[in-house]
Amino acid sequence: MDKEKILKIVINQIEQVIETLPDNQKFKVNEDTALFGPGSNIDSLSLVSIIVDLEMLFSNEHNIEISLTDDRAMARNESPFSSVKSLVDYITELTNEK
Amino acid sequence: MYKNKVVIVTGSSRGVGLEITKHFLSNNAIVIGLSKGSASHKHSNYYHFSVDLGKSDEINSCFKKIAKQFEKIDIVINNAAVMTSQYSMIMPTKNAIDMVNVNLLGVFFVSREAAKLMRNKSPGRIINIGSMAASLEPAGDSIYAACKAGISTLANVMAKEFSIYNITCNTLAITAIDTDMLRQHSETGQTKIHQIINNLPIPRYASADDILNVIDFFASEKSSYISAQTIYLGGIN
Repeated sequence: MDKEKILKIVINQIEQVIETLPDNQKFKVNEDTALFGPGSNIDSLSLVSIIVDLEMLFSNEHNIEISLTDDRAMARNESPFSSVKSLVDYITELTNEK
Repeated sequence: MYKNKVVIVTGSSRGVGLEITKHFLSNNAIVIGLSKGSASHKHSNYYHFSVDLGKSDEINSCFKKIAKQFEKIDIVINNAAVMTSQYSMIMPTKNAIDMVNVNLLGVFFVSREAAKLMRNKSPGRIINIGSMAASLEPAGDSIYAACKAGISTLANVMAKEFSIYNITCNTLAITAIDTDMLRQHSETGQTKIHQIINNLPIPRYASADDILNVIDFFASEKSSYISAQTIYLGGIN
């Protein structure tokens, strides 16, 4: 699956979470949006939802089994969850291995 | 009472799990039974999945199948458990590890996967079947009692994490129930259990109804404000 398509899927998933936020907490999401740590507008439980939703979406709609939270993800120098771009890069890497 | 509700019962083939399964089926629920062996009973609303609840990969794979077959999960009863009563110094290592894998980690993995399917659907209920051993801490049951205490803590933490999804997590700590499983214990084991029961504040074995009464309470849609609680049967606290 190409990176552009994965980027659209990830952004769409994050936007669904943003939709549930109060108006004064809504924000625009792009490749540089921080998902975790300083500068992130997403709380940790919302990030958990995004991760689980993405895993299920790839499994159910694209028949690709990915695990975003296994040892491999945690062992990377740059966390896959530091930004939208790093998450997309990681998912692209995983899907290309399938 | 449970029409259109989809209920997962682990350890559904015998003992307390079988009683719970029959109860939900007789109240019009759809029951998904998970146990290591094959189904021990047939019912048009009963679906059985053979799974080793001590193995996370089997649990994950089982839930992928469940997600494809069922639109939602409403209630999970974490009942499956294995038990070896033996003094710590001579407890076989394999039996100790098996107890942790099934009785503690199995509950964690089933609850985790079920919660993913419960999100954003109707109110979810996770009910762990604990044990009087967690409070009474009988000699010979170190690992078993620790696992049963552990699942109360699991429920309490998950109650915090899952509350935003309208999922409650509670534990029912049961006493011994007079089932075939009880009679499978050695004579010494049965004598020990009988002595424990005789020393309870309410000195009798639990009936299936004693257990089902509390399960109905935790599972009720009216119990949406009841979470992170452990109820002991028999007057234990």
